[in-house]
Amino acid sequence: MYEGIDGIRVIFEGINFQRLMVGLLVTLKIAAVSVAVSIPVGVLFGILMTSRKKWVRLLCYFYLDAIRIIPILVLLFVFYFEITRVFKIQWSGEFVAIIVFSMWGIAEMGDLTRGAIRSLPKHQIESALALGLSENAIHRHIIIPQITRRLIPPSINLITRMIKTTPLVALISVIEILKVGQQIIEYNLYRNSTASFWIYGFIFIVYFLLCYPIAEVSRRLEKRWG
Amino acid sequence: MIKVLPLYIKAAGFTLLLSAIGIFLSFVVGIAVSLTVYCKVKFFSVVAKIYIEVARNTPLLIQLFFLYFGFSRIGLRMEAYTCAVVGLTFLGGAYMAEAFRSGFESVDVSQKESAQSLGLNFLQVLRFVVFPQGLSVAVPAICANSLFLLKETSVVSAIALADLVYVAKDLIGLHYKTTECLILLVIFYLILLLPISIYMRKLEKKMRFASHGV
Amino acid sequence: MSKISFKAAASLAITLIFALSLGVLSACEKEGEKQQTANTKSSLDVIKERGVLRVAVFADKYPFGYKDSLGQVQGYDVYFAKRLAKELLGDENKIQYEFVDPAGRIPILESDRVDITLANFTITEERKQKVDFALPYLKTAIGIVSPQSALVKSIADLKGKKLLVSKGTTSEDFFRKNHPEVELLAFDQITEGYQALKDGRGAGFAQDNTEVLAWARKNAGFQVGIGDIGTVDGIGAAVKKGNTDLLNFINKTIEKLAAERFFHADFEATLRDAYGADANPEDLVVEGGKI
Repeated sequence: MYEGIDGIRVIFEGINFQRLMVGLLVTLKIAAVSVAVSIPVGVLFGILMTSRKKWVRLLCYFYLDAIRIIPILVLLFVFYFEITRVFKIQWSGEFVAIIVFSMWGIAEMGDLTRGAIRSLPKHQIESALALGLSENAIHRHIIIPQITRRLIPPSINLITRMIKTTPLVALISVIEILKVGQQIIEYNLYRNSTASFWIYGFIFIVYFLLCYPIAEVSRRLEKRWG
Repeated sequence: MIKVLPLYIKAAGFTLLLSAIGIFLSFVVGIAVSLTVYCKVKFFSVVAKIYIEVARNTPLLIQLFFLYFGFSRIGLRMEAYTCAVVGLTFLGGAYMAEAFRSGFESVDVSQKESAQSLGLNFLQVLRFVVFPQGLSVAVPAICANSLFLLKETSVVSAIALADLVYVAKDLIGLHYKTTECLILLVIFYLILLLPISIYMRKLEKKMRFASHGV
Repeated sequence: MSKISFKAAASLAITLIFALSLGVLSACEKEGEKQQTANTKSSLDVIKERGVLRVAVFADKYPFGYKDSLGQVQGYDVYFAKRLAKELLGDENKIQYEFVDPAGRIPILESDRVDITLANFTITEERKQKVDFALPYLKTAIGIVSPQSALVKSIADLKGKKLLVSKGTTSEDFFRKNHPEVELLAFDQITEGYQALKDGRGAGFAQDNTEVLAWARKNAGFQVGIGDIGTVDGIGAAVKKGNTDLLNFINKTIEKLAAERFFHADFEATLRDAYGADANPEDLVVEGGKI
């Protein structure tokens, strides 16, 4: 039985530390894959949002609003319990998480892209049109180069937001760092009375150490390029 | 389905109440913290900055587990409700502080200088120049944060608080009517969040017109 | 003005679309279920082709399904799962474990993520409508563990106090239906219920007596004040509704294993340490599906 400060041993006992790190890798994998999907698709989505066709814009806003309004946890439940059951698809919790996070990321990235495009002076596009450039050419040569710089800081920030949202996937039984932590706490419930303090504290610090540097990079870039 | 409706309504009430308290306290903490940083109060501004970074870079769910299950093991036992309010305020306060700070910073230095040259003291400059303009710039961010906090309350079910998610999960576990329970859950969140979201969109438009007008 | 009403209409439309699509989905699903039962290939063949048996177990319910400090899955349920894999695929390690919360045990079968749920699953009428249960291999009633200093000896002791439960368990169901006067605090994880009990967040924790008895033995200062609430129920493996091949296979295996008193061996291997030398396996173990 460990008491007090001695309880911190629980983090390093057996292969506990290793297990927590493996859990962390699952967390990072979900965040990384979702970001990798969200950024390119989200930029395309953002361009769609500025389409001149009204019905396209309307559809895009439906999607954006639906994703933004419903809490991610609820989306995870709907997909994990319902969509997979109805369509008879065998998605693991991890895959469901990636799908939901990507859907969310695409919406957020799209909105950022839309904002960036809207902030460009209108006359640039009008002059380009007057010069006879096609819509594709305008996107490729005028819009994309200018918004790229503006989008890099918020894209990096999106990574931290994804990482900060990942603990929710423990609630759909994905074995990531939080879930591993809970398993360790369970096993130590009657052997180490302070296990939950140390384990949750440790996970808290791990998240901070992951997110803070990324957020800081994003902020610095924003300052420099803003 | 009709039978469980009262349960959902009660839970929605709880979600709203918790959010309202959380948002209000975040607002208060946010103003205090942002002023500390803005006015560069010795020592405290450093603490405030550290607080903002820690709160913004950790997930609410982990904060809650830490407060509820972790702290109780070292002798600091809080009720679930207290944990949820503390957690929400801890998180929201930092987000609100950032919103206020960027609002205050948007006020041009020349304005402050002219106000000072007119003989206004530091507090008067804050009260008559920085506050009114800074706050109005911060409004969209404050709304966005409020919406964010309301959505974030969905995780408090993890510490056995009877919010909407808790009720839905509970009913799924008891009666296995997954589809109905989830439909109701989505509908209730839409009812709670759509009005705020629509209001925000309107506000954002107004602000944009205002800024174009300058 | 027209802008506002447009937004309002749009939002209303979102709500409707969501509600409708979920409604349509559930209708499709019922259709799908009918079709599926019409043309099933033997589910046993599917498992054999895959070469691995997918089983849902608990990861936090010592001593039935849990992970030890080396991260290995252990417990009474797991011991049986391994034997099933051996009988079916010839190798007890050909198992893919999925870890569930109590409330997730039925959804995980319905969404076809596993073949069998073997997670201390008490057989009840309500659950039978959603999944098919094999013969029981363990029996249980509801027990309440509480601090010795304020021992809960009867349900009347709980008046005006909070009782801790896990979501989606028979204990929660029992108290919701029969004792609405008792205020419940329901947790996702069983572990969290125990910890809440240790933190004094409730007067007692209601769970299967099989489990609280084991827990109280390991936790000084706690005792099971009542251990026989409700009826004695069987605990059994569950498969997806209509998966008769797999169900028959499990039942036949259970009947066959009675000869070698398999579940007594399981008890000695996994439960003895938790219940102590003086525990009588007959109080818990069910052989050949006969309670």
